[in-house]
Amino acid sequence: PALAKENNCLNAAKACNLNDTCKKYRSAYISPCTSRVSTAEVCNKRKCHKALRQFFDKVPPKHSYGMLFCSCPLGDQLACSERRRQTIVPACSYEDKEKPNCLALQASCKTNYICRSRLADFFTNCQPEPRSLSGCLKENYADCLLSYSGLIGTVMTPNYLRSPKISVSPFCDCSSSGNSKEECDRFTEFFTDNGCLRNAIQAFGNGTDVSVWQPMPPV
Amino acid sequence: DRVKGQGRGCLLKEIHLNVTDLGLGYRTKEELIFRYCSGPCFDAETNYDKILNNLTHNKKLDKETPSRTCCRPVAFDDDVSFLDDSLEYHTLKKHSAKKCACV
Repeated sequence: PALAKENNCLNAAKACNLNDTCKKYRSAYISPCTSRVSTAEVCNKRKCHKALRQFFDKVPPKHSYGMLFCSCPLGDQLACSERRRQTIVPACSYEDKEKPNCLALQASCKTNYICRSRLADFFTNCQPEPRSLSGCLKENYADCLLSYSGLIGTVMTPNYLRSPKISVSPFCDCSSSGNSKEECDRFTEFFTDNGCLRNAIQAFGNGTDVSVWQPMPPV
Repeated sequence: DRVKGQGRGCLLKEIHLNVTDLGLGYRTKEELIFRYCSGPCFDAETNYDKILNNLTHNKKLDKETPSRTCCRPVAFDDDVSFLDDSLEYHTLKKHSAKKCACV
């Protein structure tokens, strides 16, 4: 008789507001990310990014990942997937007036030490490996999810694309790449079509990867 | 000597609610913890409150009924945010109590 489908993203938001730490840091980023500062700017992007970094730094993964990596059934577009897309308040933290070229965005990331180190972590920890069962070269989903969420609040802030399968990307594309078209495509595919990252997100959403919830015992 | 009470009956209580239960007009399925102050404040009353009580009783204040000691929030909880059904965010400030006192 269960017609009422569970909305995991809504359940995660409910759980967050019932936890004092998560509730506090959630509203601490939603406020700056939704406050208009002038007629020209929808928000103060710098403050929004800083508060988003704090949210992922301070809130236990159970709650922060619960909202960022919640799983949505395929058919459910508005209630679940759109809510998941809204987690980072993309109108402020993600979208911009113009879409830059991804290699140009990468270059601008490399001029900032936080962004440079977090992007390097992401490329290391989410490196796909089709021959491994996990899909990852480093078979550790927790490290991949940590480095992916670490990009949120940098110029490389990624978000879910409106696509039937899980696909993410920073706000950039490969138009006007000139001779670097292949290099640019390789860069974007690491986000949009990365088996390791996709498996890590799905494992968390389905609750199949327990190691993300609890620290691994020392080997 | 008299032991002076300081409103020990006035306590912080909490209730788990839907955001729609607040009656503020938002359409969302999100939830929150609402904390409020409740309890008697007789033991924290001053001569001022006793005089008001007597004057009201003896009808010396015409139609006025000044407020006596109340169990009220003296600090508010952190803000709370939620996403509504049209995918718009809202943030409520000073919506929930954090610390209570007889004031």
